[in-house]
Amino acid sequence: MADILKAIAQGVEKGDDQKVVELVTQAVKSGIPALQVLDKGLVPGIQALGRCFKEGTAYLPEVLIATRAMNRGVEVLKPHLANVKVQSKGTVVIGTVEGDMHDIGKNLVRLMLESNGFTVDDLGNDVLPDTFVSAVKSKPVDIVAMSALLTMTMTNMPRVIEALKQAGLRDKVKIMIGGAPITREFANEIGAEGFAEDCVSAVDEALKLVKK
Amino acid sequence: MSQDKTSMPNREKFKAFCHGERLGEVPLYSWFHRYWTDTPEEWIKKGAPKEIGTGKGFREYFQLDHLHGLEEIVSEINRADLKNDATVQGPGRYHPTPPIVPVFPLKTLREDERHRVETTYSGAIVEVSKEFPWRMPKYLEYPVKDWATWKEYKKRLDPYTPERWPKDWWSFVEKRNKEDVPTMLLMAGFFGVLREWTGVERLLYMFYDEPKLVEDMMDQVLYLILGVARRVVKDMRIEAIRFWEDMAYRSGPLISPDMVRKFMAPRYKQVTDFMRSHGVDIIHIDSDGNIHELIPIWLECGINFPWPFEIAAGNDPVAMRKKYGKNLIIGGGIDKKALIAGKEATKQEVMSKVPYLVKTGGYFPGLDHVIPPDVPFENFKYFINLLREINGMPKLPE
Repeated sequence: MADILKAIAQGVEKGDDQKVVELVTQAVKSGIPALQVLDKGLVPGIQALGRCFKEGTAYLPEVLIATRAMNRGVEVLKPHLANVKVQSKGTVVIGTVEGDMHDIGKNLVRLMLESNGFTVDDLGNDVLPDTFVSAVKSKPVDIVAMSALLTMTMTNMPRVIEALKQAGLRDKVKIMIGGAPITREFANEIGAEGFAEDCVSAVDEALKLVKK
Repeated sequence: MSQDKTSMPNREKFKAFCHGERLGEVPLYSWFHRYWTDTPEEWIKKGAPKEIGTGKGFREYFQLDHLHGLEEIVSEINRADLKNDATVQGPGRYHPTPPIVPVFPLKTLREDERHRVETTYSGAIVEVSKEFPWRMPKYLEYPVKDWATWKEYKKRLDPYTPERWPKDWWSFVEKRNKEDVPTMLLMAGFFGVLREWTGVERLLYMFYDEPKLVEDMMDQVLYLILGVARRVVKDMRIEAIRFWEDMAYRSGPLISPDMVRKFMAPRYKQVTDFMRSHGVDIIHIDSDGNIHELIPIWLECGINFPWPFEIAAGNDPVAMRKKYGKNLIIGGGIDKKALIAGKEATKQEVMSKVPYLVKTGGYFPGLDHVIPPDVPFENFKYFINLLREINGMPKLPE
């Protein structure tokens, strides 16, 4: 059993989606509980890839194909997980701030968060402060994640924080920000608890924030 | 335009700066002070002189030397397929012109109160903000999805399509050659245009899923570049070429250095070898994001002049000069956020970088990307005056 789970993890890390589908199918057929295939096979694979990314031995294409392999494996598992309670790591509301249409980074962060067990509500791009507020009002949310590409639009991030304050919701959520002009200093300045440089560190940061 | 310490023809002066001569002198070229479309508009609204509203007026007001980007052939004006297009009004104003001939027609597909969905010259479907249409749009659909769509698309990338070239080539050549203005031939790159045609995500998958398709796209770009370059260098005086790539983000390159070496380096080398064999050794490259890992590969490929060294992405032009010496010509590298912050921050930023960089080799100061509208006019003028002060030049007139 350990061998096949290890092979699944390796398949995810290498981004070999066909192999992962084949092995996950085989694992389920052989009676390994779906939750175990997820926790001991697929998840360690994507985590290993995350470590490679941080060490500089993997880049975004490798992240994408690994994420795809993980998601294809999860698709195979889904029918077998129907009666199993899979604990979400947390709920993230994500969007690019008002005036910013650029969403490549935000999409990669969403993809990585989902692959790492977060529930993500993607509000899209050019999102008004009130839309963030409505999303937080509508359901329990752990993190509001905002992205901006431009110095002209990063100034809309504190407006979202202010709108959350006005609505009495600021203490209910953690704020995480990122994007080309964003720095940790800027995050501190506007009172955002989290900052991420890329889609992999966004997962680490989100995990830290939900534990706080 | 900027007052020389020693008289030298402009074309020679530009080359001298690039080759690490005229040490200690600050080059002041408009190319490195380009701006978002709305920047001069915002400045004029707030009381800046109206004359800065045109490229020429901007250059003259700030007394900047002209470096001509030769877009006429591979894109932009003077191309027969764009001749009658409203490139300076409406959507033509903010949609960049791709190197395809003919371009696709611009059409509005739908709109709501805040956004408009429209087609671009490159055949993509994008959603733009009505209030800020010149900002990067959200891409909804890209023109190249697979081999079939690519086979159709590549027909537009022929260097010999007559419409790509000015109708009266010889009078165009004569006019340009007569002018003592350094000229840079603008080229597509092997990553930048591909991502424009396929989308970043799809392209990144393609490197694994369809490597042959990626290589075919790159080969077509190479064919286009070399076809254009052959005719240009035969007839025209040019001092530099530029690749447009945008192949990095804030933490590093979008693909691994190994992939850059495998897919891009051999093709870069073919272009730079060709240019050097025709006396053009100034090879500029435009890539946002953190380029630390890319610089050594570019240098190996004969590409020696990156821009813009985005500071928020962790680039450090001073450290790069220390590491690579005069082999690396540096453009940009002044943190735009310092100019947004104020004059004190601007002075600190300029004085911590510019004197060292101009004393140690080719350095063209400018912001770490085009000037955004949130940089106040007064602060930008102060920045230019600081650069002039280093040169011992008088302040710009009030």
